[in-house]
Amino acid sequence: MKPRKDLLTIGDLSDEDINTILDSATAMKDIFTKSVKKVPALKGKSVLTLFYEPSTRTRSSFEVAAHRLSADVTTFTVSTSSVVKGESVHDTIDTLMSMKMDYIIVRHKNSGIPAVIARHCKAAVINAGDGAHAHPSQAFLDAFTIREKYGTVAGKRVVIIGDILHSRVARSTSTILKRLGAEVAYMGPGPLVPPQAYTGIPRFSNWDDVFEWKPDVIYLLRVQNERIDSPFFPAKDYHQAFGVTDERLRRIDDLNLSIMHPGPVNRGVELCDAAMDYRNSLICNQVENGIAARMSILYHLTPQTQNND
Amino acid sequence: MPTISQEAIQNALRDWAGRIAASSAEGEKLAVVGLISHGDILARRLVALLQNAGVPALYGALDISLYRDDFDMLSHKPALRASYLPFSTDGMHVILVDDVIDTGRTVRAALNALFEYGRPACVELYTLVDRGGRELPIHPDVAAFSTPKEAGVKVHLLEIDGTEDITY
Amino acid sequence: MTNTYILNATWVLDGKPYDFCLGQDSDTACELDGICLPGIERIAPAGELEIPAGAPRVHDAAGKILMPALFDMHASIEIDGRSKRECVSRAGQAAIAGGVWGMLVMPTPGFCFDNAATLDSFHDAVTQRSAAEMLPAGCISEGMKGEQQAPYNTLAARGVSILSDGKNPPSNLLMLHRAMKYASEIGMTFALRGDVPALTANTCIHPGTTSYKLGLHGTPPCAEEIGIDTALRLAADAGAKVHVQTVSTAGGVDIIRRAKAAGQQVTAEVALHHLLFTHENVGIYDTTYKTLPPLRETSDCEALLEGLKDGTIDCIVSDHTPCTPFAKKQDFTSAPQGMIALDTFLQAIYTHLIKPGKLSWADVVRTCCINPVSIANPVDLEEDVPTAAPLLLFNPENGVEVGGDTLPSGTLNTPFLGTKLQGCITLPLQ
Repeated sequence: MKPRKDLLTIGDLSDEDINTILDSATAMKDIFTKSVKKVPALKGKSVLTLFYEPSTRTRSSFEVAAHRLSADVTTFTVSTSSVVKGESVHDTIDTLMSMKMDYIIVRHKNSGIPAVIARHCKAAVINAGDGAHAHPSQAFLDAFTIREKYGTVAGKRVVIIGDILHSRVARSTSTILKRLGAEVAYMGPGPLVPPQAYTGIPRFSNWDDVFEWKPDVIYLLRVQNERIDSPFFPAKDYHQAFGVTDERLRRIDDLNLSIMHPGPVNRGVELCDAAMDYRNSLICNQVENGIAARMSILYHLTPQTQNND
Repeated sequence: MPTISQEAIQNALRDWAGRIAASSAEGEKLAVVGLISHGDILARRLVALLQNAGVPALYGALDISLYRDDFDMLSHKPALRASYLPFSTDGMHVILVDDVIDTGRTVRAALNALFEYGRPACVELYTLVDRGGRELPIHPDVAAFSTPKEAGVKVHLLEIDGTEDITY
Repeated sequence: MTNTYILNATWVLDGKPYDFCLGQDSDTACELDGICLPGIERIAPAGELEIPAGAPRVHDAAGKILMPALFDMHASIEIDGRSKRECVSRAGQAAIAGGVWGMLVMPTPGFCFDNAATLDSFHDAVTQRSAAEMLPAGCISEGMKGEQQAPYNTLAARGVSILSDGKNPPSNLLMLHRAMKYASEIGMTFALRGDVPALTANTCIHPGTTSYKLGLHGTPPCAEEIGIDTALRLAADAGAKVHVQTVSTAGGVDIIRRAKAAGQQVTAEVALHHLLFTHENVGIYDTTYKTLPPLRETSDCEALLEGLKDGTIDCIVSDHTPCTPFAKKQDFTSAPQGMIALDTFLQAIYTHLIKPGKLSWADVVRTCCINPVSIANPVDLEEDVPTAAPLLLFNPENGVEVGGDTLPSGTLNTPFLGTKLQGCITLPLQ
């Protein structure tokens, strides 16, 4: 893999990059089985998590990944008040550069912020989710999980269900899966699924069409109540119309399909309770693989902080 | 260019097997751990030879990339291969196998990696080639061949390179 | 002092060469094709002008185009962190560089034209510092807050004839309706942009392939269309004149076309960048291309050009908005909207619209010289007479690469930075 400072979107990566990171994630996962779940690869390196949007899961997944590579992790708490006060990202970048961080993991509600930070500092910047733009580490863990389950991603059919339009997960995960040779389709409430002309991805509007398409994996997006300023759809109908109900779960079980979800699950919205214990649910695997994928990402990036200053 | 033949390599491995079989005590837990990406092949062959000699040994492979001491000098990180060590090394007699030893830094990394799988009773180091140039106080217990420090060494093994010899 | 003679200049409207003599008396003027040529004593077809033997100032302008300088109906001149006087001075220089002799300055927080003091100090700054004419557009509401009507009589007494609340037209329709009823009595025109804030809040780009790829919220075209329609209906009811600002959508053009056909007193403008660029130019978060309203589709550009040609849209404006490099370096959502356009206005129009044959010189004279002046109606306050546009010479053969040193605005937020534009402007003549 060619030296790469940042991971901002899947689209920036070559096929070789994607495969190298996925392959190394397998090796990283092996570390979890040892009595000492830690390797010295990033010993003495400093990793900063800079989350402008709350996310306990992604943040702790990155923190565990960094710890297992022996890096020192600092949590930069961006209080909502300083954002309200109008502290610009540039001021924050100046602060970060003074701290001589090697890796910065950033999440922000505005699309494109990680790119701005990456352009202005020497640290390796990892996009941990920016607006509705990209979430590349999620894409890697999803691809890794599917590859682990089926041996390969190529030729698998994955249907992503939910609010596609506002989902960075849908964008990044569909991109990586297509690059690895999978077929991807979208399903969700009409106005929240972008036209195929924008995405090149077929869209369905109901479960019958989804089943007819013969998917291997049902990927449910989280209904993001917190990021939506004004509601996009009548929330009470969501489970009946687009969620995995008990009845649909039986059908999924009959067809032996896998279920994935980026978490955290809204029970009774995307998934019925029974789906949480479904035998082919890969949701817990996703969480575990998230750490391996993020270790692999950290391992393969090359900060420019080592030379001279 | 001087060459060491396939036959010589095979003889060396047989010697090793004989030596280990002779020295291993009754009831001793033996593991042969090779360093990816040539030592693991030698280790696998050695385990097979020991098996034939009636000495049971466990097989393991280590990728030491994550333990290297020269990370900051690498322009890009080596691709990782999964280590395979499905057992605890507590109390074991571990034979560490690699193709070439020069600076000793790889073995240093390998020892660090190995100790995170447990506390072996003893560790021995077997290498095919010793080309000198040590930078650390680490020396092989057994080295089948030695080559001059100035010469580059290339080890080819049938399983991954399609041919088998050592050139220097 | 002697007269200056300029020979063989091509008159912009008929393409024929003329010789002319610049007078020394500022009151002299000639007329050609109904266009006033101030400062010109005599004009005659090439070769027919009598030149006194030994006249020291005779210039050959063969290949250069003689035309009235441009008037820009829509410029914002405020630069964050710079003094007002510097803003005025820079915008004036920028305008002259782009062939623009005068402009209507939109109110901004720093130039809040809702009171006599601000207008007076602005007038002084312009008189002392600006190379170009600047007319202030008065605020519709005090502080542009959309709540209380500004003192229109006070504004009118200082030469204000156009009212605008800048980027944020009033959303309180009752306030606007009453303002229209009151101010139209004293001859005010309302310059409004079509917008429905509830639909456009937190948006920054045209909804389409680019917005999807970048994960940005899109500004629906219907917000502009509804806004224009609302403004037109209010104005029709109140009997007010409306000038629709920066139309960006094909739908908006249609609404104005219908209103004009129905006989409503409405004029409209399009920003140059909406004719030249689309949302695809945004590429990967290029904040240079973040504008208000956003850049739309190719089909919208075509509809806007069509509207210009058939008279639905009256003027091309610069929508000049200086933004500091610091501000534009932010992420796309946070960065301010706007481009600078005065510095390169005529050169860009020539290079990207006239040369490729999208507009004729006659279209440009109509939409950039004649129509804006008749809408903004610049009046010399001291003399109380209409100000006529000066002339400029445009040399289409010479070109220049746009760089920091060719941008008197002092900011770099132009998409032409680093590109070559055709045209070299002499303004004023002498």
